[in-house]
Amino acid sequence: MIRIENLHVRYPTSEGEVHAVRGINIDIDEGEFYTLLGPSGCGKTTTLRCLAGLETASEGTITIGDEVVYSRARNILVPPHKRNIGMVFQSYAIWPHMSVFENVAFPLREMRGKFSREEIRDKVARALKLVQLDGLQDRPAPFLSGGQQQRLALARALVREPKVLLLDEPLSNLDAKLRESTRIEVRDLVKRLGITTVYVTHDQLEALTMSDRVAVMKQGEIVQEADPVELYQAPRERFVANFIGQSNFIEGKVSALPASGSEIGTAATSSGQIKCVLPAGFNLGDSMLIAVRPEDITVVAGGAAAAGNVVEGKVSATSFMGDSIEYQVMVAGAMMRMKLHPSTAVRQGDTIRLNLPEESCRALLP
Amino acid sequence: MSVETITGWPAARMRLRLPRPATLWHWAVFLVVAFFILAPLTFLIVGSLSDARLPTDIDFTHLSFKHYAEVWGDPSTYALFYNTFVYVSGAVAVGITIAATLAWVVERTDMPGKIWIYAGVPMTLAMPGMLQAMAWVLLLSPRIGFINQFFQSAFGLENPPFDVYTLPGLIFVEGLRLVPTAFLMLIPLLRSMDPSLEEAAAMSGASPASSVRKVTMRLMLPGLFAVLIYQAVTALEVFEVPGILGMPAGLYVFSTKVYSLLHSATGLPYYGQANSLAMLYLVVAVVATWAYAKVIAKSERYTIVTGKGYRPRLMKLGRWRWLPVALAIAFMTFSIILPFLVFLYVSFLPYLQAPSAAAFASMSLKHYHALFERDLIGTALWNTLILVVVTSTLTVVLSFLVSLVVVRSKFWGRRILDQLAFAPHAIPGIVMGVAFLWLFLQADKAGFALYGGLTSIAIAFTAGYISYGTRVMNAAILQIHKDLEEAAYVSGAPQWRVMWRVFYPLLLPSFVGVWIWTMLHVVRSASLPLILYEGQENQVISVLIWNMWDEGLIQIVGAIGVMMILVLLALTLCIRTIGFGRGAQAQ
Repeated sequence: MIRIENLHVRYPTSEGEVHAVRGINIDIDEGEFYTLLGPSGCGKTTTLRCLAGLETASEGTITIGDEVVYSRARNILVPPHKRNIGMVFQSYAIWPHMSVFENVAFPLREMRGKFSREEIRDKVARALKLVQLDGLQDRPAPFLSGGQQQRLALARALVREPKVLLLDEPLSNLDAKLRESTRIEVRDLVKRLGITTVYVTHDQLEALTMSDRVAVMKQGEIVQEADPVELYQAPRERFVANFIGQSNFIEGKVSALPASGSEIGTAATSSGQIKCVLPAGFNLGDSMLIAVRPEDITVVAGGAAAAGNVVEGKVSATSFMGDSIEYQVMVAGAMMRMKLHPSTAVRQGDTIRLNLPEESCRALLP
Repeated sequence: MSVETITGWPAARMRLRLPRPATLWHWAVFLVVAFFILAPLTFLIVGSLSDARLPTDIDFTHLSFKHYAEVWGDPSTYALFYNTFVYVSGAVAVGITIAATLAWVVERTDMPGKIWIYAGVPMTLAMPGMLQAMAWVLLLSPRIGFINQFFQSAFGLENPPFDVYTLPGLIFVEGLRLVPTAFLMLIPLLRSMDPSLEEAAAMSGASPASSVRKVTMRLMLPGLFAVLIYQAVTALEVFEVPGILGMPAGLYVFSTKVYSLLHSATGLPYYGQANSLAMLYLVVAVVATWAYAKVIAKSERYTIVTGKGYRPRLMKLGRWRWLPVALAIAFMTFSIILPFLVFLYVSFLPYLQAPSAAAFASMSLKHYHALFERDLIGTALWNTLILVVVTSTLTVVLSFLVSLVVVRSKFWGRRILDQLAFAPHAIPGIVMGVAFLWLFLQADKAGFALYGGLTSIAIAFTAGYISYGTRVMNAAILQIHKDLEEAAYVSGAPQWRVMWRVFYPLLLPSFVGVWIWTMLHVVRSASLPLILYEGQENQVISVLIWNMWDEGLIQIVGAIGVMMILVLLALTLCIRTIGFGRGAQAQ
């Protein structure tokens, strides 16, 4: 449905040229919910704006549906108002001089002549109902709350029934509670409509809960593209492991490669030999990192015999989080974080033994 | 950033490398503004160096500093410096003292009737300087001044006690005229002062007096200084007040001297000298404006200008609470009520005489009839209407286009364009007039018969007022979040539809504001039309009043003045109710 090939964006600034997007390739299926995730300045919004036509790329090709909307090589550039898209801006961009109705009717009126007065009324009413704003038609747009404005922006983007919906951090201006419920609402809505959606966010939770597929971007490049589960469980880089959720990292060298039919290899670290998932491509003696999530670490009971990766450490700090307790444990001179159930009876200063389950330890390139 | 790329696309697809129409109109705006600012200034400079007797005989091979030598060699130039300096500093001292007192009492004391001061003081802006000065001539001139006559008959004085045709007279009238603007500038300064800064000083052990001295005053000083310079530039640039009060007595300041060199009683204008003096005048004004910009930039570094409104503790005045009320009433009386009443009074008289029972008995409406019967007045009114509508509309449109390029494009020359458009702010009206006079005289020679007509005046006014128009438009367009525009593009609206449906409605209050503001200034200003007009059929109302006053037709001036003040009051009321700020919603 959407195809981006070798997209480059460069623009001049007073401090010289900025290469904001560096040759990314994306292929999005019809009806897919695709997310561009990354810290600010990673090029995700620039990519989205190129897709919308609000910014012009320097190189590459963009295809929406069957139509090439941008191609440097073939000198094609379709202006935004000719691309059949809907877009929700981070600021919502609700026109303050129009009523709720007029805001939503705007895209329809811009297809001048295509719809009659009644059709526009029906379509606007349907769009507003979709986002549960029915009944607020005549209200001046500035008199809406933040959440209502967000939904109004969504209704405006959807009213034309576009082929593609672009969402630029649409939830970042909502408060935490509202953000949580809106996440689910938005995903359900676009899935129900079957509309192809590109979502830009820096919030990993939004990316994981809403998307079919996530592309993590860093400095203008996509570092990993995967479905949320894989992204969380099998990050390929330290950047991804750190950006999505939390991770402990242990430095080491490959000391044994996996036996055939197994993924588990061994690494020599300052905490001894640790077994971990070792993807293909590592050789004996390679430097590597072992990533292990705080919630995967367990405590080995006092006298129990230790099997698997067991390390010893001293609890240096605890913090009560409500649904869990977070511990900072000194293990062989390095700080490790772990998350345990609040009922755990481990205190600050205790020396404990930790189990790092081998299937939860993943080898990454350093 | 993206707007420029979007504006370039006429249809669905186009080749990327074609020159974009967007850049073409950017260029057009740039060239128009550059021409109408730089061409007159060039002629001003060339004219000051030209040895030719007439501007039309200009010859680039005969350039010298002769006229500068004449100006600097003339002892009256030094008297001119002295007069101008005394007049400007005196007027600023009077104006700021009154304005600061009024601002302080409404912001920081519990005086009654504050709303009337907030509403009333700015309304005095409606009073044209020319009429204000004329009214005070009628009150304080040694020969006909009503107040002088009253004192002389009441106390048997031999000599009239007051003479308005003096530096103190000039200072008094111009000082009054500076009050409303200074007041409007001082209010936010006082209001944005965070009281916790004073409280912190108190908590650190400073006495109230010392915390005011060490904190409040220190923080307000740059702002106060900025107001001071701004007012000095205003006083320096005013022509009408020293024109009415100074010129008849041979008391010249910069603006009136330049004018009188061009309108000498003894034959040909001294073009060269006028230009070299105008250059000097321009340098002084530019330096002052530059200093103002510096001070503003510096004062913005202080945290007091937070844009946040604070509610400071009000000083309890107790039994003195009616004192500021009396002060305010006195100010309003002197600056608008009394001048208006004087005009009203003389407009009904058959001939000029001090108020008496006989005078009131002889009153009639005949001068008001004259307004409708004299062709000259009808022509002037019609001309004024055309001039005002054309100038205001041109100013609004050009300012909008300039600001659009400056704020929303990547056009290479947008910074230069912004500075060009702002440059006339530093150019006194008289200097602008001289510069454009040269431009139109040269244009005349080249076959563009604009000289002396309304078109030339409209062009010169527009060139001057875009400095203000672009400031308002820059701010207004900046307030329209770019997403509002882009949301319209992705909703399927082409460029011109976005203009029509998003920009136009959001900017409408700014358009109207600039329009009325320009109108108010065009109607009042006499300096530029006086220099540029030629022939009775091209007179506008301000020029007509000036000429009729010269001819002693005081009662008709009174009648026109009364009507004019009423119209200007109505317009000022409009502009204050509409305000400029509705675009702020767009944020």
